[in-house]
Parts: sequence; structure tokens; C-alpha cells
Amino acid sequence: MSHPTLQELRDQLGCLEETQRRFSRTIPIADAVDRWMPHGGLPVGCIHEVKGASVASALAFSSILSARIAGEQGNIVYIAPDRSLHPLGLLPYGVRLDRLLLVSARRSQDIAWATMEALRCSQVSAVMAILDSADLTSSRRLQLAAESSGATGFLLGPVTSAPIAAPITRWKVSSHVGKPGQRFDEPAWALDLLYCRGGRPGSWTIEWREQRLNTLFNQLATQTTREALAG
Amino acid sequence: MARRFLSLFCPDVTGDRLTQLVEWCDRYSPLAAADGSDGIILDITGCIHLFGGEDKLFLDLQRRFHRMGIQSQGAIADTWGIAWALARYGEQSIVHGGNAASALAPLPVEALRLPYEIVLELRRLGLSTISAVRKIPRSSLAARFGSTLLWRLDRIFQQAEEPLTPWRPAAPYRASRILAEPISTVSAVEYVLHDLLQEICKRLERNRLGSRHMDLACYRLDGTVDRCEIRTSKPTRSIPHLMRLFEGVLETLKSGFGFETFVLSVLDVEALHPTQLSLSQANPVEDESSFNALVDRFGMKLGFDQVNRIRVRESYLPEQAVEFRSAAVSPIAGAEWPAYRIRPVRLIHPPMSIKISILIPGGSPVRFFIGERQRRIVRLEGPERLTAEWWRDSNSRWGTRDYYRIEDDQGLRFWIFRDSSEHWFLHGHFA
Repeated sequence: MSHPTLQELRDQLGCLEETQRRFSRTIPIADAVDRWMPHGGLPVGCIHEVKGASVASALAFSSILSARIAGEQGNIVYIAPDRSLHPLGLLPYGVRLDRLLLVSARRSQDIAWATMEALRCSQVSAVMAILDSADLTSSRRLQLAAESSGATGFLLGPVTSAPIAAPITRWKVSSHVGKPGQRFDEPAWALDLLYCRGGRPGSWTIEWREQRLNTLFNQLATQTTREALAG
Repeated sequence: MARRFLSLFCPDVTGDRLTQLVEWCDRYSPLAAADGSDGIILDITGCIHLFGGEDKLFLDLQRRFHRMGIQSQGAIADTWGIAWALARYGEQSIVHGGNAASALAPLPVEALRLPYEIVLELRRLGLSTISAVRKIPRSSLAARFGSTLLWRLDRIFQQAEEPLTPWRPAAPYRASRILAEPISTVSAVEYVLHDLLQEICKRLERNRLGSRHMDLACYRLDGTVDRCEIRTSKPTRSIPHLMRLFEGVLETLKSGFGFETFVLSVLDVEALHPTQLSLSQANPVEDESSFNALVDRFGMKLGFDQVNRIRVRESYLPEQAVEFRSAAVSPIAGAEWPAYRIRPVRLIHPPMSIKISILIPGGSPVRFFIGERQRRIVRLEGPERLTAEWWRDSNSRWGTRDYYRIEDDQGLRFWIFRDSSEHWFLHGHFA
């Protein structure tokens, strides 16, 4: 039999490998953003928080990513306290309406419960939930559920809402004034990566065009512009 | 097979308590109904063997009624009429085919359950027992009393069917367990339920059916019934899935003095063909972790009207273009959207009234106010004129609407419209 200390070390190594493997499956966001991310894209099977200057922007951004994860066949579950979502508005972002399940729940604990149940289901690709808040315990639980099933969770909310404790990444999507003649279904956003486990925060200006997210300026330029504007 | 009816006469019980008792009697047979205002009728055909014989069933019933403190008399016979008569006026409690006539013969004419005037008339003529009435030729009876009396006699003596309307439609599938000792804990109930589900699901599988709606009736010692129901979006006969759905509702049961009998009924079935079983998973399609199981859990907890799929409708009006359809309803292909149009991600319902400032009369807006806050419009597209289809007149409220897509100086994008009376509304948010 192996030595107990050796076994302990093996377990520790196993855990490390698990972490590596855990975030190895990713989907692309936009070229410059992917290069910035520690795993070369957005990790699948995790919890991501997306705050929006308007919930609509956060919703559209998450829809793009959810649609990429779901592909042709995957199920997307949308959980919200009301029915303000206009599904036809999601069409330009690649969401397949026949694969979308809409769940309404008025009480926030029901939303949290539904999010948990959806994330546990291995036949769900992505979950978008408008969630008030989640403390450390519930956030961990959501993360564990997502890891076990492989579903990806996007917890949405306005920037004014309380942050979710311990997501894998935290994004802020703000509107960016469009160029003259820019289509309303191909918006531009200021995208901030506020937190990323194992990575650094970053900011980009991105634009949704012809089913692709393009970065408009490189990150440095964006920051300089912002500083110039602020100064 | 001869049919068997059990009639109960309990004069002290009325109103709601009688309804409650009828429901409780469901434990003996699903075909139970209130009989007038003072009795209960049960069609126990085919249920007798479950209790080990008519006499045992009858004894069990009497014992339980006695324990509940209800005065009752009862009788079992081949027709409703005979059972009714014997329960109220007879000596014998269980009567079979040929003996019925002799058992009824000495009973008073009231036992025929006739209108009061006819009974009075019979008595006046000195016909006070059933045997006396039956000695009179049918033709004379018909001439004197019309068809009512003959019709009644035919029904009693099995020449005509007497239909029974049970208190609720009989469930196509049903299984019951009678316990020796009452139980009250959830885990004990779960154990019994699991047993019942196994029996029912086996039968469903044999007939290639799945349940859409199940109901577990739990009979308390004091003669009241507690029920819990589950519904599913797709037919199922997967025991783990059904158990999980029941889990949530079992907690709502109030055991009181304890439950002694359980009846599981399948109220709605649909065809469900057997699927190929894989080696690794017992039943891959109905697996507990499947998407359908998730939809059911959502539906059970939040209500199936809160769990929706989208159906596109042929309408240009945004609020009518999409229907939220309960996921429990079988999918129906929606209309093909005629042409893609730019639409906001979120709609505000109902549209919010806003103020707009316009430079030139009839021109496009340059500023707008949401509440007190003023927003400068930097980009504007429109108008896109939308009007209700002529065959829909439900939307006369705003008339023809001119929609504009606008962007303010912060980069926030909105969808606003002007109605036919020149009022402005905010209707949606673009991403």
C-alpha cells in the first residue's frame, strides 16, 4: 500500500489537475478578449456574472455567448421575475427560439431555486437568470451544479444591483454610442471584465456585426481614450 | 358478471360531511356517489376480492363507520334499488340474485323509492308491501299509476339499467394499499407510494402508456381524505422522476391521527412507447436529469403557466407577435415570421407614457423625458408604421403607431412610438 502522505499529495495534485481541466473547455468571445483570458476564451460549465448599464445589453451579450454554447441542439433556459423579454429581439444574437425555455418566478427565492435546478440538468447548455443577489454559499452551490452538469450560468442584473459572490468571471456591459448609420440590432458596447479567476481585469469596446463580436480598438487605445475623456 | 351495489343509509350525516364521506368511500370503489341527501351508493363490482369477500368488506366498512361515530345501515345487492330498499327497510344485509325477491317481498312500499303521492295511493288501496304490489298485473298498474311505478319496479328488479354517476370520473389506473397500522411520517408515506408507483408503472408499461396526471389519496383514521396531485408535461412512467415530483407535495400532507389507506390513481394517460434501454442508464429518455423532468419540476413548483416556450404569431404588433405557451402543452409549430424586422430585446408592457420635445411641428423628436430626466437624442431611425391587422380590433387603444429607434447621448437605445393621437410612449429597450 502507498504511504498516506504520498496519497495526500496525489489527491492534491488531482485537485489541481481538476481545476485545469475544469476551465479547459471554452468558447470564443472576441479575438482580443480571448487572447486576454487565461484560458483563451470564456470557460464553459461555470457561473458568469453579467451586469448591464441596461439589462437589455447584459441580456444580449449573454445571449450571444449562450447561443454559441448551445449551438444547434442545446437548450437555453431563461429565468426572470417578469415577462419583459421580447424573444424576437434575440434573433439577431443567434438564439434559436425553439430551444428557449422561459421561466417566470416572482419571488427571488424561486428564481434562485429555478436557476439551481436548471444548472443541475445535464441537458441544459446555458442558463440566463435575472438574479437579485447570491451570497457566497449559494454562489458556490450554483458553481458546483454548473460544474457537475456542464451547463453555463449567466447571472444578469443592472449595474446597480448587488454583485454575485464568487463568480468565475464578472462582466459589465455598457452601451457605447454608435456610429451614424449603425444598425440597432448590431450594437456597440463598452465591455469591462471586472473580475476573472486566474486572470486580470480588462476593458474593450466591442461591436456585434455579421454574427461576430469584433473589438473596435485595442485595449490600450480604449484606456487612453477613456483617460483622455476623464482628464 | 353480476354487478354488486352497496347502499349505505346514514340519516345523521348531511351536507359537506356526506360529500366528504363519499370521497372517503372511494377507498372501497372508485364508483361512489351520494345517494339522495342521506345515503351513499357504491358500485363494488370487481372490488370485492381486494377485501377478501363481500362480508369482510361490509364488516370493514361498518367497523370504520362505528369508529367514526356514524350511525349507518347498509346492504349489498345486485341492483342499486334492492340495496337501497334493504339498507333502509330490510333485515338482511347481503342478498344474492334469486333471494332478492323473497328478501324484498315483506318490505313496505316505501322501499320502492317512489314519489310520495304514489306511495299514498298504494297504501289507500291496501297495497302496503312489495309482494302485494307485485301480485297485481303490470297492465293494471300501468293503467292506475302511469309509467313511474313500472319503471321503478323494472329498475329494482334488474330489467332496466340504473346508471350511477360517480363523484368524479373513475381513474383508468388505480392501485391501493390498506395498512394494518396508521402511519404519519413522510418517509413512511414515500415507502408506500413507491410500492404503489411500481405497481401502476408496470401496468402502464404493459399497455404502452404514460401518466400525465396522478393523484394520491391518503385516508385518515377519522374518515377524511387528503390528496396530492402531480402533473407532468410529457407522459411518463419513470418511478424516480415521479417520486421526485411527489416529494415536493408530500410535505403538504397533514397526517392528523395518521393515514391508514392509500389510493394512487392515474387520472390522465397518454401513449408512451417503450424506448431502447441503454446498458449504462436504466431509462435514458425519462431519466430524472432529463430536460422534460426539469420542465416538470418547474411546472410543479411554479405552475405550468409560468414555464413557457415561444410561439411566433403572424402579427406585426410586437405585443401580439409572440405567444408564451405553456411547456406542458404539446409543441405546435408557430408561424414563420414573414420578414425579419429589428426588434428590441425587452418590451415594456404596457407602454410607458413619455414627453418629447420636437423642433418642427410634425417633425422628429430631439429630446425626450423619462420621468424628470431629460435625454438628448443623437441617433434616430424611423418611422416604422405598425397597425393592428384589420381582423384584430383588440388594439384600438393606440391606433396606428409610428415607431422610432432612438439612441441617447449615453448610448442607451430605446424604441418609442407616437400613437394616432400624437402621444408618445416608450415601448422597449434595445441592447
